[in-house]
Amino acid sequence: MGASLWSVTGPAVGSAFFASLVEVVEAFTIILAVGTLRGWRPTAFGTIGALGALAAIIALLGPLLDRVPLQALQLAIGALLLLFGLGWLRKAVLRAAGIVPLHDEAAIFMTEVAQLTRGPARNGTAFDWIAALTAFKAVLLEGLEVVFIVIAVGAGRDLVWPASLGALAACLAVLAFGLAIHKPLARVPENTLKFGVGVMLSAFGVFWTGEGLGIPWPGRDLALPVFAGLFLGVALATASILRRPLTELVR
Amino acid sequence: MSLIREIVTELFGMFMADGWLAFGALIVVGIAALLVSTLPTYPLAAGVVLLVGCLAILVTAADREAKRRSTE
Repeated sequence: MGASLWSVTGPAVGSAFFASLVEVVEAFTIILAVGTLRGWRPTAFGTIGALGALAAIIALLGPLLDRVPLQALQLAIGALLLLFGLGWLRKAVLRAAGIVPLHDEAAIFMTEVAQLTRGPARNGTAFDWIAALTAFKAVLLEGLEVVFIVIAVGAGRDLVWPASLGALAACLAVLAFGLAIHKPLARVPENTLKFGVGVMLSAFGVFWTGEGLGIPWPGRDLALPVFAGLFLGVALATASILRRPLTELVR
Repeated sequence: MSLIREIVTELFGMFMADGWLAFGALIVVGIAALLVSTLPTYPLAAGVVLLVGCLAILVTAADREAKRRSTE
Protein backbone atom coordinates (compact mmCIF):
# COMPACT_ATOMS: atom_id res chain seq x y z
CA MET A 1 0.00 0.00 0.00
CA GLY A 2 2.79 2.41 1.00
CA ALA A 3 4.82 1.78 -2.16
CA SER A 4 1.69 2.02 -4.28
CA LEU A 5 0.71 5.35 -2.68
CA TRP A 6 4.19 6.82 -3.10
CA SER A 7 4.39 5.65 -6.71
CA VAL A 8 1.82 8.39 -7.50
CA THR A 9 2.34 10.93 -4.68
CA GLY A 10 6.12 11.12 -5.15
CA PRO A 11 5.97 11.69 -8.92
CA ALA A 12 3.07 14.17 -8.52
CA VAL A 13 4.95 16.33 -6.00
CA GLY A 14 8.25 15.93 -7.90
CA SER A 15 6.66 16.84 -11.26
CA ALA A 16 4.96 19.90 -9.73
CA PHE A 17 8.24 20.98 -8.12
CA PHE A 18 10.48 20.58 -11.17
CA ALA A 19 7.93 21.89 -13.70
CA SER A 20 7.34 24.92 -11.48
CA LEU A 21 11.10 25.40 -11.16
CA VAL A 22 11.36 25.70 -14.98
CA GLU A 23 8.43 28.13 -15.23
CA VAL A 24 9.41 30.26 -12.22
CA VAL A 25 12.99 30.60 -13.49
CA GLU A 26 11.57 31.93 -16.80
CA ALA A 27 9.29 34.40 -15.01
CA PHE A 28 12.12 35.43 -12.65
CA THR A 29 14.39 36.32 -15.60
CA ILE A 30 11.78 38.77 -16.96
CA ILE A 31 10.98 40.21 -13.51
CA LEU A 32 14.69 40.76 -12.88
CA ALA A 33 15.09 42.54 -16.23
CA VAL A 34 12.05 44.76 -15.62
CA GLY A 35 12.96 45.53 -12.00
CA THR A 36 16.59 46.32 -12.76
CA LEU A 37 15.80 48.57 -15.69
CA ARG A 38 12.49 50.25 -14.78
CA GLY A 39 12.35 50.07 -10.96
CA TRP A 40 11.10 47.58 -8.39
CA ARG A 41 7.87 49.33 -7.31
CA PRO A 42 5.93 48.81 -10.59
CA THR A 43 7.54 45.36 -10.99
CA ALA A 44 6.32 44.29 -7.54
CA PHE A 45 2.89 45.79 -8.33
CA GLY A 46 2.62 43.76 -11.56
CA THR A 47 3.92 40.58 -9.91
CA ILE A 48 1.53 40.80 -6.94
CA GLY A 49 -1.34 41.61 -9.32
CA ALA A 50 -0.60 38.49 -11.38
CA LEU A 51 -0.33 36.31 -8.25
CA GLY A 52 -3.72 37.69 -7.20
CA ALA A 53 -5.20 36.87 -10.61
CA LEU A 54 -3.78 33.32 -10.39
CA ALA A 55 -5.23 32.92 -6.87
CA ALA A 56 -8.63 34.05 -8.22
CA ILE A 57 -8.42 31.49 -11.06
CA ILE A 58 -7.59 28.71 -8.55
CA ALA A 59 -10.42 29.85 -6.24
CA LEU A 60 -12.86 29.70 -9.18
CA LEU A 61 -11.58 26.41 -10.63
CA GLY A 62 -11.22 24.51 -7.33
CA PRO A 63 -14.92 24.19 -6.46
CA LEU A 64 -15.77 23.45 -10.11
CA LEU A 65 -13.33 20.51 -10.19
CA ASP A 66 -15.02 19.00 -7.11
CA ARG A 67 -18.29 18.81 -9.05
CA VAL A 68 -16.85 16.84 -11.99
CA PRO A 69 -17.08 13.03 -11.60
CA LEU A 70 -13.59 11.59 -10.94
CA GLN A 71 -13.49 9.36 -14.03
CA ALA A 72 -14.49 12.20 -16.38
CA LEU A 73 -11.93 14.47 -14.67
CA GLN A 74 -9.19 11.85 -15.09
CA LEU A 75 -10.03 11.44 -18.80
CA ALA A 76 -10.15 15.19 -19.54
CA ILE A 77 -7.01 15.99 -17.55
CA GLY A 78 -5.24 12.90 -18.88
CA ALA A 79 -5.87 13.94 -22.49
CA LEU A 80 -4.72 17.53 -21.78
CA LEU A 81 -1.63 16.19 -19.99
CA LEU A 82 -0.81 14.06 -23.02
CA LEU A 83 -0.96 17.11 -25.30
CA PHE A 84 1.09 19.20 -22.86
CA GLY A 85 3.56 16.52 -21.71
CA LEU A 86 4.27 15.06 -25.16
CA GLY A 87 4.80 18.63 -26.44
CA TRP A 88 7.38 19.33 -23.70
CA LEU A 89 9.08 15.99 -24.25
CA ARG A 90 9.25 16.45 -28.02
CA LYS A 91 10.92 19.84 -27.56
CA ALA A 92 13.31 18.45 -24.93
CA VAL A 93 14.25 15.58 -27.27
CA LEU A 94 14.93 18.05 -30.11
CA ARG A 95 17.07 20.20 -27.78
CA ALA A 96 18.96 17.17 -26.46
CA ALA A 97 19.61 16.13 -30.08
CA GLY A 98 21.03 19.59 -30.86
CA ILE A 99 18.28 20.34 -33.40
CA VAL A 100 16.65 23.14 -31.38
CA PRO A 101 18.94 25.55 -29.47
CA LEU A 102 19.02 25.25 -25.68
CA HIS A 103 17.04 27.75 -23.60
CA ASP A 104 19.42 30.54 -22.56
CA GLU A 105 18.23 32.64 -19.59
CA ALA A 106 21.11 35.12 -19.95
CA ALA A 107 20.18 35.75 -23.63
CA ILE A 108 16.49 36.08 -22.73
CA PHE A 109 17.44 38.60 -20.01
CA MET A 110 19.39 40.68 -22.53
CA THR A 111 16.54 40.53 -25.08
CA GLU A 112 14.04 41.65 -22.45
CA VAL A 113 16.33 44.52 -21.38
CA ALA A 114 16.71 45.59 -25.04
CA GLN A 115 12.92 45.54 -25.57
CA LEU A 116 12.29 47.59 -22.42
CA THR A 117 15.00 50.06 -23.42
CA ARG A 118 13.33 50.54 -26.82
CA GLY A 119 9.94 51.09 -25.15
CA PRO A 120 8.59 54.49 -24.02
CA ALA A 121 10.81 56.18 -21.43
CA ARG A 122 9.66 56.62 -17.85
CA ASN A 123 7.71 59.82 -17.34
CA GLY A 124 9.25 61.50 -14.27
CA THR A 125 7.52 60.40 -11.08
CA ALA A 126 4.48 58.90 -12.90
CA PHE A 127 3.79 55.22 -12.24
CA ASP A 128 5.53 53.00 -14.83
CA TRP A 129 2.60 50.98 -16.22
CA ILE A 130 4.72 49.37 -18.93
CA ALA A 131 6.99 47.81 -16.30
CA ALA A 132 4.01 46.70 -14.19
CA LEU A 133 2.24 45.19 -17.21
CA THR A 134 5.38 43.36 -18.40
CA ALA A 135 5.88 41.80 -14.96
CA PHE A 136 2.14 41.02 -14.69
CA LYS A 137 2.15 39.26 -18.07
CA ALA A 138 5.28 37.21 -17.35
CA VAL A 139 4.05 35.97 -13.96
CA LEU A 140 0.50 35.32 -15.21
CA LEU A 141 1.54 33.38 -18.34
CA GLU A 142 4.18 31.24 -16.60
CA GLY A 143 1.91 30.91 -13.56
CA LEU A 144 -0.95 29.56 -15.66
CA GLU A 145 1.28 26.67 -16.72
CA VAL A 146 2.17 25.99 -13.07
CA VAL A 147 -1.53 26.03 -12.09
CA PHE A 148 -2.37 23.62 -14.90
CA ILE A 149 0.46 21.22 -13.97
CA VAL A 150 -0.47 21.25 -10.26
CA ILE A 151 -4.14 20.54 -11.03
CA ALA A 152 -3.30 17.99 -13.72
CA VAL A 153 -0.93 15.85 -11.66
CA GLY A 154 -2.93 16.24 -8.46
CA ALA A 155 -6.63 16.20 -9.29
CA GLY A 156 -6.81 12.55 -10.37
CA ARG A 157 -5.95 11.30 -6.84
CA ASP A 158 -6.86 14.22 -4.58
CA LEU A 159 -3.21 15.29 -4.50
CA VAL A 160 -3.69 18.96 -5.41
CA TRP A 161 -2.45 20.17 -2.00
CA PRO A 162 0.78 18.09 -1.96
CA ALA A 163 1.42 19.13 -5.59
CA SER A 164 0.78 22.79 -4.65
CA LEU A 165 3.35 22.49 -1.87
CA GLY A 166 5.83 21.15 -4.44
CA ALA A 167 5.15 24.18 -6.67
CA LEU A 168 5.42 26.58 -3.72
CA ALA A 169 8.77 25.04 -2.71
CA ALA A 170 10.03 25.67 -6.27
CA CYS A 171 8.89 29.33 -6.11
CA LEU A 172 10.65 29.84 -2.78
CA ALA A 173 13.81 28.11 -4.02
CA VAL A 174 14.02 30.32 -7.13
CA LEU A 175 13.25 33.45 -5.11
CA ALA A 176 15.92 32.60 -2.51
CA PHE A 177 18.60 31.87 -5.13
CA GLY A 178 17.54 34.82 -7.25
CA LEU A 179 17.70 37.28 -4.35
CA ALA A 180 21.06 35.86 -3.33
CA ILE A 181 22.80 36.11 -6.72
CA HIS A 182 20.68 38.91 -8.29
CA LYS A 183 21.36 37.56 -11.79
CA PRO A 184 19.38 35.39 -14.25
CA LEU A 185 19.52 31.75 -13.12
CA ALA A 186 21.41 30.73 -16.24
CA ARG A 187 23.03 27.65 -14.70
CA VAL A 188 19.78 25.82 -14.01
CA PRO A 189 19.88 22.72 -16.28
CA GLU A 190 16.62 23.78 -17.91
CA ASN A 191 16.51 21.14 -20.65
CA THR A 192 17.36 18.28 -18.29
CA LEU A 193 14.52 19.42 -16.03
CA LYS A 194 12.18 19.82 -19.00
CA PHE A 195 13.16 16.34 -20.25
CA GLY A 196 12.39 14.81 -16.85
CA VAL A 197 9.15 16.71 -16.39
CA GLY A 198 8.05 15.90 -19.96
CA VAL A 199 8.62 12.21 -19.19
CA MET A 200 6.55 12.42 -15.98
CA LEU A 201 3.71 14.48 -17.50
CA SER A 202 3.44 12.09 -20.47
CA ALA A 203 3.41 9.10 -18.10
CA PHE A 204 0.71 10.79 -15.97
CA GLY A 205 -1.20 11.56 -19.19
CA VAL A 206 -1.31 7.90 -20.25
CA PHE A 207 -2.08 6.80 -16.67
CA TRP A 208 -4.98 9.23 -16.03
CA THR A 209 -6.42 8.79 -19.54
CA GLY A 210 -6.40 5.02 -19.06
CA GLU A 211 -8.02 5.33 -15.61
CA GLY A 212 -10.62 7.68 -17.09
CA LEU A 213 -11.41 5.13 -19.80
CA GLY A 214 -11.73 2.38 -17.18
CA ILE A 215 -8.56 0.50 -18.12
CA PRO A 216 -7.35 -1.63 -15.16
CA TRP A 217 -3.58 -1.01 -15.30
CA PRO A 218 -1.60 -4.06 -14.10
CA GLY A 219 -0.04 -3.23 -10.72
CA ARG A 220 -2.45 -0.26 -10.43
CA ASP A 221 -0.45 2.81 -9.27
CA LEU A 222 2.85 0.97 -9.76
CA ALA A 223 2.20 1.16 -13.52
CA LEU A 224 3.07 4.90 -13.42
CA PRO A 225 6.84 4.49 -12.83
CA VAL A 226 6.88 1.79 -15.53
CA PHE A 227 5.30 4.21 -18.03
CA ALA A 228 7.79 6.89 -16.99
CA GLY A 229 10.66 4.45 -17.59
CA LEU A 230 9.31 3.60 -21.05
CA PHE A 231 8.90 7.28 -22.03
CA LEU A 232 12.40 8.04 -20.72
CA GLY A 233 13.97 5.16 -22.64
CA VAL A 234 12.17 5.96 -25.90
CA ALA A 235 12.87 9.72 -25.60
CA LEU A 236 16.59 9.17 -24.90
CA ALA A 237 16.85 6.71 -27.80
CA THR A 238 15.08 9.16 -30.13
CA ALA A 239 17.38 12.02 -29.10
CA SER A 240 20.38 9.79 -29.64
CA ILE A 241 19.23 8.71 -33.13
CA LEU A 242 18.33 12.27 -34.17
CA ARG A 243 21.57 13.79 -32.84
CA ARG A 244 23.33 15.41 -35.76
CA PRO A 245 26.98 14.68 -36.52
CA LEU A 246 29.34 17.07 -34.71
CA THR A 247 30.59 18.56 -37.98
CA GLU A 248 27.07 19.54 -38.95
CA LEU A 249 26.49 21.16 -35.52
CA VAL A 250 29.72 23.19 -35.82
CA ARG A 251 28.79 24.34 -39.33
CA MET B 1 -7.26 43.34 -25.55
CA SER B 2 -3.70 42.58 -26.61
CA LEU B 3 -3.03 41.02 -23.18
CA ILE B 4 -6.11 38.79 -23.42
CA ARG B 5 -5.09 37.76 -26.96
CA GLU B 6 -1.61 36.89 -25.68
CA ILE B 7 -3.04 34.84 -22.81
CA VAL B 8 -5.35 32.94 -25.17
CA THR B 9 -2.47 32.35 -27.62
CA GLU B 10 -0.26 31.12 -24.75
CA LEU B 11 -2.98 28.76 -23.48
CA PHE B 12 -3.56 27.42 -27.00
CA GLY B 13 0.19 27.01 -27.49
CA MET B 14 0.49 25.04 -24.23
CA PHE B 15 -1.51 22.20 -25.74
CA MET B 16 -1.25 22.74 -29.49
CA ALA B 17 2.37 23.82 -30.03
CA ASP B 18 2.69 21.06 -32.64
CA GLY B 19 -0.65 20.54 -34.38
CA TRP B 20 0.37 17.16 -35.80
CA LEU B 21 1.38 15.82 -32.36
CA ALA B 22 -1.81 17.13 -30.72
CA PHE B 23 -4.00 15.66 -33.46
CA GLY B 24 -2.15 12.32 -33.32
CA ALA B 25 -2.44 12.10 -29.51
CA LEU B 26 -6.19 12.82 -29.65
CA ILE B 27 -6.64 10.17 -32.37
CA VAL B 28 -4.81 7.61 -30.18
CA VAL B 29 -7.06 8.51 -27.20
CA GLY B 30 -10.10 8.16 -29.50
CA ILE B 31 -9.00 4.72 -30.72
CA ALA B 32 -8.37 3.57 -27.13
CA ALA B 33 -11.85 4.81 -26.12
CA LEU B 34 -13.37 2.96 -29.09
CA LEU B 35 -11.54 -0.25 -28.13
CA VAL B 36 -12.78 -0.01 -24.53
CA SER B 37 -16.37 0.23 -25.71
CA THR B 38 -16.13 -2.41 -28.47
CA LEU B 39 -13.92 -4.91 -26.59
CA PRO B 40 -15.06 -4.53 -22.96
CA THR B 41 -13.67 -7.95 -22.03
CA TYR B 42 -10.14 -6.93 -23.10
CA PRO B 43 -9.73 -3.40 -21.67
CA LEU B 44 -5.98 -3.90 -21.44
CA ALA B 45 -5.79 -4.00 -25.26
CA ALA B 46 -6.93 -0.37 -25.22
CA GLY B 47 -4.24 0.38 -22.62
CA VAL B 48 -1.54 -1.10 -24.83
CA VAL B 49 -2.80 0.91 -27.83
CA LEU B 50 -2.82 4.09 -25.71
CA LEU B 51 0.71 3.61 -24.37
CA VAL B 52 2.35 2.37 -27.59
CA GLY B 53 0.42 4.92 -29.66
CA CYS B 54 1.66 7.83 -27.51
CA LEU B 55 5.25 6.58 -27.69
CA ALA B 56 4.95 6.28 -31.48
CA ILE B 57 3.45 9.78 -31.75
CA LEU B 58 6.37 11.20 -29.73
CA VAL B 59 9.02 9.55 -31.92
CA THR B 60 7.26 10.50 -35.17
CA ALA B 61 6.65 14.13 -34.09
CA ALA B 62 10.32 14.59 -33.10
CA ASP B 63 11.49 12.94 -36.34
CA ARG B 64 9.15 15.10 -38.47
CA GLU B 65 10.42 18.30 -36.84
CA ALA B 66 14.06 17.19 -37.23
CA LYS B 67 13.51 16.50 -40.95
CA ARG B 68 11.63 19.79 -41.41
CA ARG B 69 14.49 21.75 -39.84
CA SER B 70 17.16 19.89 -41.83
CA THR B 71 15.52 20.91 -45.12
CA GLU B 72 15.31 24.63 -44.12
